[in-house]
Parts: sequence; C-alpha cells; structure tokens
Amino acid sequence: MHPVLLFVLAVPAVTPPPVDFQTEVIPVLTRAGCNSGACHGAAAGRGGLHLSLWGADPEGDYDALVHDQEGRRVHWIDPERSLLVRKPTADLKHGGGRRFDPDSPSATVLLNWIRAGAEKRSLRRLVRFEVEPQTFQAKAVGDAVPLRAIAHFDQGKPVDVTALAVFSAVDPTSIELNATGRATIRQRGQHTILVRFLDRIVPVRITLPLGERPVALGAVPRTNFIDDEILATLKILQLPVSAPADDLVFLRRVSLDLTGSLPTPAQIEAFQKDRRADKRARLIEALLDSAEFNDFWTLKWAKLLRVDSRTLGPEGAKAYQRWLHQQIARNTPLDRLARELICATGDGHTQGAANFARTSATAGAQAEMVSQLFMGARLRCANCHNHPLDRWTQDDYHGLSALFARLERGRVVRYSTRGEVIHPRTGEPAQPRIPGERFLEGNGEERALLARWLTDPNNPYFARAMVNRLWKEMMGRGLVEPVDDLRSTNPATHPALLDRLARDLVEHRYDLRHTLRVIALSSTYQRSSSTTASNRGDDRFYSHALEKPLSAEVFSDALTTVTGVSESFGTLPLGTRAIALHDISIPAPALDLLGRCSRQGECDEDSPRGGLTQMLHLINGRLLNDRLTAKEGRLQQVLRSQRSDVAIVQEFYLLALSRPLRPAEQAFWNRHFQDARGADERRQLFEDFLWGLLTSREFGTNH
Amino acid sequence: MISFKDPYHRCDGVTRREALRAGVLTAFGVTLADWLRPGVRAAIPSSARRAILLWLDGGPSHLDTFDLKPEAPQEVRGPFRPIATQTPGIQISEYLPLTAKRMNRLAIIRSMTSPLGEHNLGSHYLLTGYKPTPALHYPSYGSVLAEVRGGKHALPPYIAIPEAVPSAQEGYLPRECRPFAVGGDPSRPDFRVRDLETYPEVTPRRLQRRNEFRLAFDRFHHPAEEREASREAGFDQAQRLLASNEARKAFDLTQEKSTVRARYGSRTLGQACLLARRLLEAGVPFVTVTDRGWDTHDNLVLRLKEGYTGGSVGKVPTLDQAFAALLDDLAERGMLETTLVLVMGEFGRTPKLNPGGGRDHWPRVFSAVLAGGGIKGGQVVGKSDRRGESPAERPITPEDLACTIYHTLGIQASHELHTRDGRPVPVNQQGRLIKELL
Repeated sequence: MHPVLLFVLAVPAVTPPPVDFQTEVIPVLTRAGCNSGACHGAAAGRGGLHLSLWGADPEGDYDALVHDQEGRRVHWIDPERSLLVRKPTADLKHGGGRRFDPDSPSATVLLNWIRAGAEKRSLRRLVRFEVEPQTFQAKAVGDAVPLRAIAHFDQGKPVDVTALAVFSAVDPTSIELNATGRATIRQRGQHTILVRFLDRIVPVRITLPLGERPVALGAVPRTNFIDDEILATLKILQLPVSAPADDLVFLRRVSLDLTGSLPTPAQIEAFQKDRRADKRARLIEALLDSAEFNDFWTLKWAKLLRVDSRTLGPEGAKAYQRWLHQQIARNTPLDRLARELICATGDGHTQGAANFARTSATAGAQAEMVSQLFMGARLRCANCHNHPLDRWTQDDYHGLSALFARLERGRVVRYSTRGEVIHPRTGEPAQPRIPGERFLEGNGEERALLARWLTDPNNPYFARAMVNRLWKEMMGRGLVEPVDDLRSTNPATHPALLDRLARDLVEHRYDLRHTLRVIALSSTYQRSSSTTASNRGDDRFYSHALEKPLSAEVFSDALTTVTGVSESFGTLPLGTRAIALHDISIPAPALDLLGRCSRQGECDEDSPRGGLTQMLHLINGRLLNDRLTAKEGRLQQVLRSQRSDVAIVQEFYLLALSRPLRPAEQAFWNRHFQDARGADERRQLFEDFLWGLLTSREFGTNH
Repeated sequence: MISFKDPYHRCDGVTRREALRAGVLTAFGVTLADWLRPGVRAAIPSSARRAILLWLDGGPSHLDTFDLKPEAPQEVRGPFRPIATQTPGIQISEYLPLTAKRMNRLAIIRSMTSPLGEHNLGSHYLLTGYKPTPALHYPSYGSVLAEVRGGKHALPPYIAIPEAVPSAQEGYLPRECRPFAVGGDPSRPDFRVRDLETYPEVTPRRLQRRNEFRLAFDRFHHPAEEREASREAGFDQAQRLLASNEARKAFDLTQEKSTVRARYGSRTLGQACLLARRLLEAGVPFVTVTDRGWDTHDNLVLRLKEGYTGGSVGKVPTLDQAFAALLDDLAERGMLETTLVLVMGEFGRTPKLNPGGGRDHWPRVFSAVLAGGGIKGGQVVGKSDRRGESPAERPITPEDLACTIYHTLGIQASHELHTRDGRPVPVNQQGRLIKELL
C-alpha cells in the first residue's frame, strides 16, 4: 500500500481530510493570480515572496511558502493567523489587494491544508486534463454554455476542478466568462477559451455561425484534402463560398504568388487559347520551374534569414544569397536546408550557409532566430522567465543558446572550445539543450543533434512551422497568426488542416514545391475574391480568396513592367528587378516607402499598403510621375505612335490587370477621351488614366 | 441635430440615460446641442483638445530619469544622483535640471506596471491600452482620436515624427486613421517634409481627375466596396492637405525664428518637438514624436548622459532641453492648458545594473510623465518600492493610463468603435481613471 495512504489511515478521525499541495493548493494560488508573471510569479517575486510562474516548480513553491522567512507564512498553532490566508483575503495589508473572501472555497482549501499540517503531500499526479465540452456551437448571441474542467489523476476517479481552473477568452470582447466557468457568446464567429489547470492548458472552441442559415456546399468542387477541411469549417460557420476564379484571374494570381511577376500578354493569350482540361495544373508546373520562381523565393528566404550586408559585409551577403538561390533552384528539401544552415561553419565569404551564424550577434539571438524560424516558437519570452503561455522554460532558452555559444562569428565561423551562456537563475554556465527535450554534452555534436531532432519526421514543430508560412504566402493569412507563434494557446483556425499539410510535407520529403503545388491546385486557392453579401466579412475562413497587397518589390517590378521604365537601385545595372535585390542595404527609397521589410528584426509581412504617407508619394513623388512622363517610357511612346485611344487603353489593361477591357469600361473611357483637344490634352488625359490604373486596388493587389 | 452622415458613428437616437447625462453636462457648459452633434456623443467634459506624445522608444530607465533611488545599494542606484525640483519633496535626475524647474507643471506616475517585457508587445500595450492578441489589432491613441474627431480638415489628424512606431498604428480602424509619417530628420538644415510639393503640370484639376479615374477602376473591380476603399487609400486627406497652403506651411520649420529653434536644441528630438508644436498649433489633434535609443542594455553613462565619450548630449539632457522648451512654448502660446503632453516608453529597466553597466527590460514598475491638458502638476502619483522593482503603492496599469488619456481628451472609455466587419469594441476596457491627475 502507498505509504502516504497508510499515514492518512493512521490519524484520528477528527483531523480534516488531507489536502494535496500540488494538485489542490497550487491551483488555488494559480486561480487567484498569485503566481502570475505580474505578481509573485515574476522572476524576482514580489513583496519578498517568490513563487514559480503558474506553479511550474511545486517543490520550490512549498519551500517558499512553508520554510522561507522562518516559516511565518504558515501558522501551525493557529492556522487562521497564517499570512498565507490573511494576505490574499486582505485581512492584512496586501499589495495585491483581496484575491478571495475569507469564507470562499479557496480560503477553505488553504486553511484545511494548514490544519492538516501543511505537508508537502503528493497524493496523486495529474495524468490528463480535459474540458467539457471541447467545442460548442451556439445558436444566437447571448447563448451560454457551462464549461466543466475535469482532472484525471493517476489514482482515484476523475475530479471536477472547475472551481480551481483558470478560464480566459482569447478575445474578451467576444466571450464573456464568469467565475463558475460559464461562457456567454457576444459575437458571431469562431472563438477560443483557454482553460488552465496546473501546467496544462486546454483550448475550447466556441462557434456561432457567421451566416444566418445553413449553406449547401455539396456542389463546390473539391480537389484535395485542403478543400475537405476548409469546406467542413465553412459548413459549421454557415458561410457560402464565392464562385471559382476565372482563368485570367487565376493566371494573374498564381503568377504573382509563385514568381512575383505579372503574366505577359503572350502568356495571357496562350493560356486563353489553351483548351486542355489540365491547363491550370500545367501552368503551375511551368511557374514552379521558372527562373523567376527561383529569384522570388530566394528573396522570401533572404527576408526571413535577414540577409544584410550591414551585418555580413557585401561579400558575405552575396555568398549567402548565391547559396540560397542554388538551394531554391535545386529544390533542396527544406529539412536539409535547415540542417545545413544550423550546422554550417567556414568562411562566410565563400560558404554561403555559414552566414546564418554570422547574422546573429550572440548565441541568444541565434537561438531566438532558430526557434522562431524553424519551430514557429517565440522562445524569447523564456529568456527571463518560463514562457507564460507555452511550455518553454528558462532551461530551454539558455540551453538552446548554449548550443550556439561556442561558435566564433567572425568572417570565418568555427566551433571553438570556449564560449558559454550564463543561466541567469543559477549563475552557472547553461548546459546545451534541445528545447523541451533533453540536455546534451557540449562536445561539438550538439548542433547536428539539434538539426537532426528538428527535422525528424516526428518532430512536432518544423513541418508545421514551414507549411504555416507557405500557406500564408499563398493564401494571405497564416493558419496560425502570427506565423511564428505556434502554441496550444494560440490555436490554428483549421487545426486539422495544419496537421495534414505538415504530414503531407513530411511524406513528400520536405519538398517546398510540392506544398505550393498542393495549395495552388486546391479549389480553395482557386476561388474568386469577389465577395457575396453573406461572406464579405470573412477574413480567415477562405469562403473567398483574400486580396493580398503586392509587396513593395513586386509592386515596384509591376510598375516597371507596365510603364517600361525601370527603377534604379544604387549602382546596380538599370533593369535589375526589385525581386532580384537580395541585399537590403542597396538604397531604394521608393521600396522603403512602399513598406519594404527592413530585415533588422523578424519581418513576416511588409507593412500594409495605404494611408496618407504613401498616397502623398503616389501623388507628388517621382515613383509614378517620372514613369508616366518619361520620354522613352511606354506611355509616351505609344502616344507618339498612330495607335487609337482604345487600343492603348486595351494594351494597358492587359499589361497591368491581365485581362481585356470590358464593354462598360470601354464606354467609360470613350466618354472621357473623346473630347480631348490637342496632343497635350490627350497626353495629360492618358497620364491621368495610367495614374488611376496604377493606384487602383485591382492593380495594387493580388486578388 | 442628429446627423446620419457618418456611418461609423451610430446616431440612432439617444436613450433616457444619455439624455439625463446630457442634462448634467449642460451644467459644465456643454449644451444639449453639442452633445447631440455627431462625434461629440463620445465626449465628456474635458480640458485637452490635443495631445503630444514623446515616445521614448526602447524603454527609458525609470531609475535614471524620474524615479531615482539614492538610498539603494550602488548596483541599483546607478551612476546618477537626484536633484531637488521646484516642488518640495520631489526629486528627479540631475541631468533633468530644466525639467526640474518646471515640476509644478508636470505629474510623474511612478507606479506604472505591466507584465510585458518585450519591445513590440510592451509598445502595443502602452500605446493602445490593450494587451496584444492575435484576435484583433487595436488602434493607438492618435488613431482613436482621428476616428472619433473625424472631420475633414486640411491637416491630417494624427502625425508621427519622424516615423510611426509599428505598434502605434490604426489597428482595426480605417487606414485613414493611420499616422502620417513626416520622414527625414528635422534637425538637418535641408529638412523638408516629403512629398508636399506638387509635381510639374499636375494641377488640382488634374489631380481631381486622376482620383476620379482611380475610383472608376475600383468601382469596376469591386462595385460593392467603393466607400470603404476611399477611406483606406488616404486620397481625400492628401487632396485636402495639398489644397491648403496654410496647412502645408505648418510643416515648414524654417518659418520659426532662429531663437525659437535654438531653444529646443539643435538635435533631432528638439526640432521634432518644435515641428510637433507647429502642427498642434495649426490644429492637429495628436502628434507622436519618437525618440529612439532608450534601450540601454549597456553603458548608462555614455548613452544617457554623454552621448559620445566626454560629451553632454546623451538621451537625458537632450530630452530635458526639448521637453522644457516644449512646455514653455506651449505655455507662452496659451496652449498648455488645452494640450496634453505625455512622456513615456514601453517599460522601465532592471533595478540591478548588468555587467555592461546597463540595465535590461523591466516592465514591473516604471514611470510615465504627464503635463498640460488639465493635468494637476507638481505631484507624484504612486510609488515604487525601495529598489524600484515593484509598485509599492497605487499600481497603475496601461489600461488605467489609457482610460485617463482618453478622458482628458474628452473620449468616454465606453465609447464604441467598429472593426471593419462591423463589430463594436470599446475604446478602453478595465481602465480606472487616475483621479489624482485631474
């Protein structure tokens, strides 16, 4: 028999029932917020009392409460006089005010524990924590659901711990929670409640359909598993889908997404004439094979990896970019790409991948970059304290840093025998560690072990982090947002889809092009961005395609394509495309104003287009005006030719919008152009026409 | 008159409670007619009509500016000494002598507290009054003011000098509420606010036509969404600004006398404050001046005091001169009582100096400074503990500060704004008014 139980049986019957420190007392403290980061759970504690964040270290907490300060927090003789009870009930002055009433269940648990001897019992261990229901579908605003938190211990029956669990809504304006775990829905949509008990956090999903009535989605085409998952969610949310995008919209969209380039008039004509049933699939293959694809995806990686000659020197930046370009062109599997970056050493001027280590000034910075990029995890929070919303501890942060501590980060990156990271809690050198997993010997193998663990098919982070980023590139929004913040407390809009995409990537040997192809082929991707009255408000369930503003580089290149006037970038030859500009330090004020990523920190997206600053530049700046008026530019040239007004308008429509002029549009422009008097006025009219075209939403977005 | 013109404000009648409230307000000089005017519905009696935020980007050290701990051990009190201010009993850093002489005008909160010690998260929290969440991007103070005040003025309602803080944007509000960033360095002799001069041949008439054409394209593209698009693009704002010579003049620092320019100091922060004052005077309701470089992880003496080895142009003396000049200038122009001045950053710094002689991030307690706009000066609100680690008295959250800022500017915390998909969100939640300040 269990020794503790023996002891319990031996005491006289008048003694209060035993209270378990870890599974009963700590939850009281957690629920009242005592061990939160803003209170005693802070790294330095508060008011002289330090508790582990959210009770992560019960042993330490026991000592703090029972032994520290000569044990004055617990009064053995007269339990009611214990500081542990008098402070949170504000019987004594307490910086945190009254956390619970003297006759509340919380106070009773603490009192009973002290009465029973304030022992460090460990009667049971939490095995599983669940919340019922896990999902709930409301019918109307104001509907409420009681949530029940249930703890399964390694012995005894499941226990209802609703009164001890902490409930919080990710979006408090959508879900109202009361102290008994009752959730009331205040807004339509899909919402998440996080329920915490001890070190476990369970998300509960509450949905109130966005549409008023059920929708029939049976006739919507399904190409692959993406469509199954997306349509299943749309059905629950009662959101109707938009029509499929027509051929030319698809052509423009997929060209911009995969190659950052507008389709040429010749490509448009060929695609229109193509009558084969699989012409969209053929187009996708052709784009994946193109040189522009390599340039464009090198640029995306260069942004993520912060290729920057200010930190790497021009030689290093060039070598890094060349190496990246090679990997994309050869379709190096993403797992190998990650392994090579993490393990690379050598001369940064010749070994491109070695610049990965040179980009980070310190081991800690490299640890943050590795976790953010390859794990989709923000380990940074765990620098000073255990991550409040995730599993990461200070051991993880400093252990991962220690793994990079022995790298010399000069022009030549090499593994040396010296270098360490001091763990702030112990003051000792931190031991290298695979985050959340195990400690490693510091023998030179540790980066290889990390890389192998990360890219193991069973690794829960890498593939998910990768597909989430790829999904965002194609669809305009990550399944998890922000894309580098994957954790159980920040659930995906479509968790099953994220899992399936990740599995699919692993099964296809981490092939970047494979995942892009699967997404591009789906009916979800090929939907129109035109909304209906009932799905207009949807910005995350893919009932219609999301309009994506063209990034600064793509926009700039598109301007060049349409106007026939190149932007000049520093000393680079005129005609260099902005998407081929892989070093941020090349001056390009127009790109900066358009929201180019500065690469000084993480840049998951360029800043969104619009607003007064940019509009003033479009109106008065040289970016557009110079190109409209340039003598050798396309506009001034065609104006000097004998072409008719409508032919000119038609040409610009095709170049910029990748589609022919519609009759209503033709009538509109005819009306405006017919009363132009003289060459000057005609020229100005056309300049204004082109200005309107280049500042229009249809041109400035991928839709 | 109730107007239905602006769809973003719900002018669908006044409830009895509000009517009663309006009656009460009359006693304060706000008439019922004012109360019912669109945009004023959110209003409460207030003294500030505009605000300027000096955003000390990176997190200024409370222990070396406004909350010194001379009694603490060397590794906490750091290299600087406190000096007396004009208000008996209140001391601040020895490198803020000009500010100290104006203590009667300012209030220091020494018990600001936040759990967020990362720049982006902390900035978002302090600049919006909401903790960041993936569910919704919240708008910053200036954007909210731009939305609530609305109006069709020549000058943009929210201006950032020189660039906008990424976490101080329009959030879920229309892009029209995004700050206009002037760019450049106002301390340079050739400084010009970019893109205010028209391109040759592009007359106002042509500009008008260009916009007609742009809107025609949008109409053909997405017939249903035209109105929203026009609020997103910022064209109307740009056109109003360009049409007014007077408005454009507000951006021209060369209009200021050299004695005035000298008073603010020749450095970027000083000239940025002067530009801000010009803009406020011309009617801009909210200006943010961002001063970078307060993320002082090493060498406090060099960064905060000297600027360069042996110098005396570090962050603190530069702030001192600019801030004092701004207060005086506003007061002399009779604007201080109606202009809220805020000085703060996203968090404080660690009480214990690190081995590099710097301090790291510390959100648990830090200071914020307010002046003008009806703020009661010559006082300290709240208190940090002996080592500047935690609030010892009267902890004040960013929600409380936001609530107070909005209150001062005449916006009720419960006033509802609307996201793009039409859901209502209150301007502020969970904030309690800091009554001592008023």
